[in-house]
Amino acid sequence: MPQIDTGDTAWLLMSTALVMLMTPGLALFYGGLVRRKNVLSTIMHSFFILGLVSVTWVLWGYTLAFGPDTGLGLIGGLDWLALEGVTGEPSDTYATTIPHLLFMAFQMMFAIITPALISGAFAERKRFKAFVLFAVAWSTLVYAPIAHWVWSPDGWLFTLGVLDFAGGTVVHLSSGIAALVAALFIGRRSGLIEPATEPHDVPMTVLGAGLLWFGWFGFNAGSALGANGLAATAFVTTNTAAAMAAITWVTISWLHRGTPSVLGAAIGAVAGLVAITPAAGFVTPAASVLIGLGVGVVCYGAAQLRLRSRVDDALDVFAVHGVGGAFGALATGVLATSAVNAAGFDGLLNGNPGQVVVQAVGVVAVGLYSATATGAILFVVNLVTPIRVAGDVEETGLDLAQHGEVAYQS
Amino acid sequence: MVIAALASFGILIVAWILAPDEGSRRPQASTVPTREPVPATT
Repeated sequence: MPQIDTGDTAWLLMSTALVMLMTPGLALFYGGLVRRKNVLSTIMHSFFILGLVSVTWVLWGYTLAFGPDTGLGLIGGLDWLALEGVTGEPSDTYATTIPHLLFMAFQMMFAIITPALISGAFAERKRFKAFVLFAVAWSTLVYAPIAHWVWSPDGWLFTLGVLDFAGGTVVHLSSGIAALVAALFIGRRSGLIEPATEPHDVPMTVLGAGLLWFGWFGFNAGSALGANGLAATAFVTTNTAAAMAAITWVTISWLHRGTPSVLGAAIGAVAGLVAITPAAGFVTPAASVLIGLGVGVVCYGAAQLRLRSRVDDALDVFAVHGVGGAFGALATGVLATSAVNAAGFDGLLNGNPGQVVVQAVGVVAVGLYSATATGAILFVVNLVTPIRVAGDVEETGLDLAQHGEVAYQS
Repeated sequence: MVIAALASFGILIVAWILAPDEGSRRPQASTVPTREPVPATT
């Protein structure tokens, strides 16, 4: 019979609150990157989702993602609809030393931030009503199934042996691919001089990145689901990878553009946090240095390619979360060691080359499903209500036109 | 209780679909301060 451990419960309560703070942090991170006439609408995308997905997760999201499997490893059943049967006692299946309700709440915070990440792709031209409908559909039809595939003990990717400690595929790859599809679907912003971004408040973005970094300790170290050595490992690998990616990004931009970019430090740190997410509890601190270095180089290159392309993924969600998530998942297959986590597997460098193949299968499966389902959802939502605002509204700015408010009076 | 909870969210979804958007209260562009875009720094 599972017993509640007070230390584990205290850490997961704290971690859940830390991950919750990431979504307002993301709102500031994205809000600083857009033009001043769209800052409120961009913040609202994240903040509204905090309310929206909190409710859908309680009503049906949790049972679809983590409920008892329906037989094929694809989706959970409706046994826990509206949290029926989910109580303050531990689950027999998940995190058996903390209340089942607490595990549900911890996972809720992951479900909240994932669709919020996508909002960066169609910033400055998305109709709010369409965004709300998209977020409900996406969190139900894309996030919940993928979470079930990877994290349910009966999920088909879990059974296959895919390692994803805290959501490299479930959160970041899925949202990054969805962002690319959304950017292609909605089209480029109008009236921008190439290349098409204007960060209106870099300090706001750096503050957001700092809050994300802070909250990520709950995201990754909390995913140990206990107050133990594995949580400490994940804490250290998370901080190390973020730090290494930040200084790597700054160094590259310094050499490339001639100045050490402040914005680059913030975005580089986020890229490092993304890449270490699937690996945090499976690799050593030394390996996390290499992951930070690698993702700093790869994501910087991806962001440069995006600038040269016709794809207006406004806030580089694909370059950071899509590419960074895939890189982290594959790096886990290379660098994982069962010496860190006996529940995991060894990777390529520890004598198990097959783990790289398994990780690649996970990346391809999650990427293909997210791309296809996101495209279908966007198509249907666009039939219900146009996804893109009218041209004059885009020129005016979404804050005033969509929300009747402005962020700054002068 | 479960049915009532689901129904309450369903009412909100219907309300969102029916709610007005910018078409009914479009502001004047001249009321919004604007700046010229500059290249990204990343």
